[in-house]
This record gives sequence, structure tokens and C-alpha cells, in this order.
Amino acid sequence: MRRRFFVFRTITRWYSQLLSWLLVASVAVLIIPVSLQIFSRYTELIPSYIWTEELARFCFIWSIMLGAMVGIREGTHFVVDLWPPMNARAQAALRLLASVFVLLFACVFLWWGFEFTRFAFNRISELAELPLWLIHIPWPIAGATWILFLGEQMWDDLRIMAGKAPPPAARPADGIPGSIT
Amino acid sequence: MTGATLAPATASLIMFGVFFLLLVLRVPVAMALGLACVPIFLIEERLTPQNLVQETFNAYNSFILLAVPFFLLTANLMNVGGITTRLVRLSRDLVGHFPGGLAQVNVVLSIFFAGISGSSTADAASQSKLFIDAQRKEGYDDSFSVAITAVSAVLAVIIPPSILMVVWGGLLTVSIGGLFLAGIVPGLLIGFAQMATVHVYAKMRNYPTYPRATMVETFKAIAVSVPALMTPLIIIGGKIFGWFTATESACIAVLYAATLTMLVYREMDLKGLYHALLETGRLTGVALFCVGTASAFGWLLAYYQIPKALLEGVATWGMGPMTTGFFIAGVFLVVGCFLDAIPAIVIVGTVLEPLAKSVGLDPIHFAIIGIVSLAFGLVTPPYGLCLMISCAIAKIRMLDALKDVMIMLIPMFIVLALVIMFPQISLFLPRLFPPGTL
Repeated sequence: MRRRFFVFRTITRWYSQLLSWLLVASVAVLIIPVSLQIFSRYTELIPSYIWTEELARFCFIWSIMLGAMVGIREGTHFVVDLWPPMNARAQAALRLLASVFVLLFACVFLWWGFEFTRFAFNRISELAELPLWLIHIPWPIAGATWILFLGEQMWDDLRIMAGKAPPPAARPADGIPGSIT
Repeated sequence: MTGATLAPATASLIMFGVFFLLLVLRVPVAMALGLACVPIFLIEERLTPQNLVQETFNAYNSFILLAVPFFLLTANLMNVGGITTRLVRLSRDLVGHFPGGLAQVNVVLSIFFAGISGSSTADAASQSKLFIDAQRKEGYDDSFSVAITAVSAVLAVIIPPSILMVVWGGLLTVSIGGLFLAGIVPGLLIGFAQMATVHVYAKMRNYPTYPRATMVETFKAIAVSVPALMTPLIIIGGKIFGWFTATESACIAVLYAATLTMLVYREMDLKGLYHALLETGRLTGVALFCVGTASAFGWLLAYYQIPKALLEGVATWGMGPMTTGFFIAGVFLVVGCFLDAIPAIVIVGTVLEPLAKSVGLDPIHFAIIGIVSLAFGLVTPPYGLCLMISCAIAKIRMLDALKDVMIMLIPMFIVLALVIMFPQISLFLPRLFPPGTL
């Protein structure tokens, strides 16, 4: 069982690395259509494409959803903490309870996100004429990804509660919790 | 009314009940907002949870919000690319010889940083690492160092460019260029109030000062920093003169910062670039995902016409514009203690907007009151993000810094009261431009 779980953990690690690369790519690509839009307006070098704005929004949607997926594994979605300091087991129990609700949320995104994607299956976007399901599919993918990552975390917390694993090391303070304001 | 299955009161009770319960259980705010909508979507006959997906999609499908990752990327590029260190030197030459020199540098750097970045937490994180240890070594009290770093970080969302202003302008259709201009004076006033506070502290506690920099040194520091200090002019100027949209000017700022760090200062390598992009993506995803679920929450509130019902209740109190201003500030201050600023704008901003309109408050004035109040929420417990970050980096408890934070907030509250009482403080700059150009 532990061996099998080790394989599972390796898979989630690689998968989250893949998501991070895609995230970097989507943010980097964002700059291109918006720059094209500006340069085509002020120079004669390139024609003014009408699809730039739409393409930018498509990449933007992907980058938000990819960031939200990675955020679950890295625990950066921000929480309001009203609890006094507790021992490691109580912490794990509380985390587990919260995970159950996030899991529920992930199922909503998977199920109705799939409906949402199917709904767009035969349609194309107005300007760039891209298949619309391409920008609807991040929702079910996010749902499935969260379920995967939550599985790993809930397993860890169960082991901490059972006293079979040490509590996680405190995370370094230099990570900014998930807020930009 | 709308032919809804649930009465508005029942629906709002379920939504807020589930939301607060989940918050207490430490479910992430974004998920708690979404989950609070799910029972309603299931019960209500005409709605399905697919509406939740659709509403989050609609929220992200926005060209204006696209400015947010660009602003973050600009700040990240500048941090990695050595621009911050040049601004520190400039700040030190400008105010280092004042009493409490290093703490003054802390505030002035926050003002510069605020003009480049629109993110307070980014400011709190980078400046806590920069200043708290250094101030400790020079004999400043820990609680003072943490408090001044945290409260000066909130300037980033008040002085333009500001992510909160982009979100506010995008959601409530207010001119973002107008908001940028309106934030300048209140932001600088709050900055000066903080410098005065530092001055009083330094005199009472005998904090050290630096020798005065020579004119030559100061001019050198200015010359080195000029390219970096051009960034706010590009963002704000490009928007005001109508050359670019908000999103486009943010994109120009990214290109400018990238050129600066790679070609002029030459401190950026590929690894640094990768990290700047990754950090931007992470923060964008987590912060803006919350906008989606908050929008769905707000959409449901509007579906049951709950804001209208609340407004009718408040309208009977017969408040004038100034009282309404204080009321709005109060609501945002309380909400800001518990909620992050962006979901607070999405939900509370849209609820209060008709109230502000009904008493004739200028939309820009209303926005500035809201944004400044929410900015104060960044240092007030239990959920004061900037304070939490500074405390975590200084390794002290939030409780220990609280007293100094409260003292420093007093002059800032006075500025907020002035901003509410005298609309010209925020409105005179945007009004210099003929209507329609912003």
C-alpha cells in the first residue's frame, strides 16, 4: 500500500510540475496578443488582427484556472484562521474536514464543468474561430486535478491522525499567501 | 417577485450561513463562496450548478482583469531584476538623515514601490525581508519595525497603479484612469502621515539617523533610478492620454520592465524570468479565482434582489452624502477585517453602489473611500494579510505588534476622514481632465 502510494505521489509531483510549466507558458503567451494589438495600432509593420483580444482572454482564462489548480497542492488559496494553536493531530483533523468540503467543490466543478464543456462542443468562438470547448475544458480538468491533489493531502492527514507520520514541517515564511491585494 | 422557489430572506440566510460556517472550518475563501451558492443552485428550479460554472467563466472572460497579471509581472520583474536595491539607495539619500532614518526609508520606499506595483502583499513580503532585520540591528523595537513595514505596505493599493482600482473599475464600470488619478493625493497624504508618525516615535525613543547624503550622491541615486521611476508615468500617462487601455498600458509596463532589467540593469537571467512568470501565475490564479466564485455569489444576491432590499432599509435612515461616506467606510473597514479586498469589492462594493448613487456620491469618490478602507483592513486582525506576512518574517506574534499598528493607524484614519469630508482631495486631479477623456 505504501509502495503504491509512493508511485501515486511521484505522479502528482510530476503532474503539478507539468501544470506549473503550462502556467508559466500561459502567462508568457499573454503578452504577445496584447503587444500585437498595440503595435498594430501605432505602426504599419503588422496588420491589425481582430483576434488578438479574444486570444488574450483565452490564455487568461487558462492561466487563472491553472493557477487555481496548482494553488490547491501548494496550499496557497487563502483561508481565514480563527483557531488557537493546536497540536498536530487536531490540526490534521481540521484540515481533513476542510478538505472534504473542497472535495465537494471539486466534484461540482468536475460534473457541471463537464456539462458546460459538452454544451460548447460544436461551437467556435466569434473572432478567432477557435473551438469553444478549449476554454470550457479547464473547469472539469480543475475538478479532476483538485480531486487528485486532495487525495494525496487527505492521505497524509489521515496518517498524521493515526500517529504514523510526523507533522509537516512548518512552511517557510517567504511564501505569500494567495492574495495580491 | 422573481417567481423564485426560495424567499430572498431564506436564500440569503442559507448563503451567508454556509459561507461563514465554511470560513470557520478553514475552507479557502474562494471555495467557501462557491459552495455557499451550490445549495441554492440545486434547490432553485430555474437554476443549476452549471450557472456557477457559467458565472465564474463570465468573470474571467474579461479583458480588463487581464491587467492584473501584467501589474504583478511588472513588480516581480523589478524585484528580481535589481530595481528595488536602486530605489533603496535613492530613498536613503532623500530621507535617511531624518530622525528614525531607516524607518523613514522604509516608508518612502513603499511610496516608490506603490507607484510601480499595485500589490500590497508583494510590498510587505519584500520589504519585511529588507528592513525588519536591519532595523533590529540598529536598535529599533521589533513591534515598531513590523508595524511600520506592514502599514506602509498598504500604500501599494492606494497609490496608482493599484490592482484594487482595476478590479473596482472593471466590475463597477468606473474609469480606471480616473481612479488612478484620484488615488495619488490620498495615498501621498497617508504616506506623509506615516512619516510624521515615525518622526514622533524616533524623537521619543531616540532612534538613530544617517548622516545627510551629499547633493552629488543624491543626484547620482536619482539618475540611476529614473528609468525605474518612469514606470508609473507610462502606466498612468498611457491610460490618461488615451494611448492605451488599462490592460494595454499594463502590458507596456511589462515590456518596459523586462527591457530595463535585461538590457539596462542586466541583472535578470532566464531562471529569474521563469520564477517571475511562475510567481505571477500562482498569485493571479489564486487571487482571481476568488473573483469568479465571489461573482457567482454576488450574482445570486442580485437574483434575489437582496441589495435592493438592504438599500430600502438603509434609505429610511435618511443619511446625507457625508454620513453615507462614513457609513460606507465603516462597512468596508469591518468587512476588510474578515475578508480579502477583492471578494469584498465584488460582493460589498456592488451592494453599496446603489446606496452611494442614491445620495449623490461621486462614483470615483465612493471608490476611493472603499479602496482606502479596504486597504486598512490589510493590517487589522484577524485577517490582516500584510501584518501577518511581516509578523511571520520577523518571527513575532501578531498580538505583540498590534499596539503599534493601532497607534500608527490613528493618523491614517484622520486622513481617511478628511478624504470622506472633502471630496476634492480625491476628485480635483481627475477633474483637471475634461469629462470623457478619462
